[in-house]
Amino acid sequence: MFRTALLRSARQAVRAAPRWQAPIARPVARSSLFQAKQITPSAFQAVRCYSASAGLSKEQVEGRIMDLLKNFDKVTDVSKLNGESHFHNDLGLDSLDTVEVVMAIEEEFSIEIPDKEADAIHSVKQAVDYILAQPDAH
Amino acid sequence: MSHEMALAAYRNLLRSASIAFRGDMRMLSAARLEARKNFENNRGLASGSEEYTKQITHAQEVAKFLRENVVQGQAIDAEGRYRLNIHEHTERGDNEDIKKGKGNTLAGTKCCSS
Repeated sequence: MFRTALLRSARQAVRAAPRWQAPIARPVARSSLFQAKQITPSAFQAVRCYSASAGLSKEQVEGRIMDLLKNFDKVTDVSKLNGESHFHNDLGLDSLDTVEVVMAIEEEFSIEIPDKEADAIHSVKQAVDYILAQPDAH
Repeated sequence: MSHEMALAAYRNLLRSASIAFRGDMRMLSAARLEARKNFENNRGLASGSEEYTKQITHAQEVAKFLRENVVQGQAIDAEGRYRLNIHEHTERGDNEDIKKGKGNTLAGTKCCSS
């Protein structure tokens, strides 16, 4: 009698104890290079799931690179920003800005681009193609 | 010495800054602004000139120093204890290194000349 009561209360205590919840998604860390002008709340952008092992789609990569450029204050004419934009000719970025953009892309996709390849990226399309060719990019 | 070398130096400097000041947005953005400012100041230098070479070497040295010899600490309690952000690139020597004072590291360098 006493034992069952003790067990019951113990079980209740266990149930009441806060369980540690395994995080299934973590919020996207905003790029540290470019501060977002405004953060658009969107259910799909607010979380990033790591469960899927499938590679990135072209649209996803392009979207993330364009978002990044949208938040880069040196891009003067956002209307010229599209999947084909050239960093210098269309967006008016100089070579130092381009280095910063490529570094922000590295940070966004958690990869490191070697100098030689980084120097060859001059447009949104080239960046997208490079990321798509990287199995480690996510 | 070409245009690419300046860009490589700039990239290296930015990378070093993000290693040295990881997690410290204020220092990180200040370091990036400072790097940018110095590169902008030297924008007019003729590619290949002596001053150009000197400035690039300087940038690479700053990058190396930031990466290997700057360690940030964060106070973790009121007793003045700090947690140091020692990372894989931090230069760590042992006592022998200090005696030898190898040329390419800061080990064995005296902090003041007097």
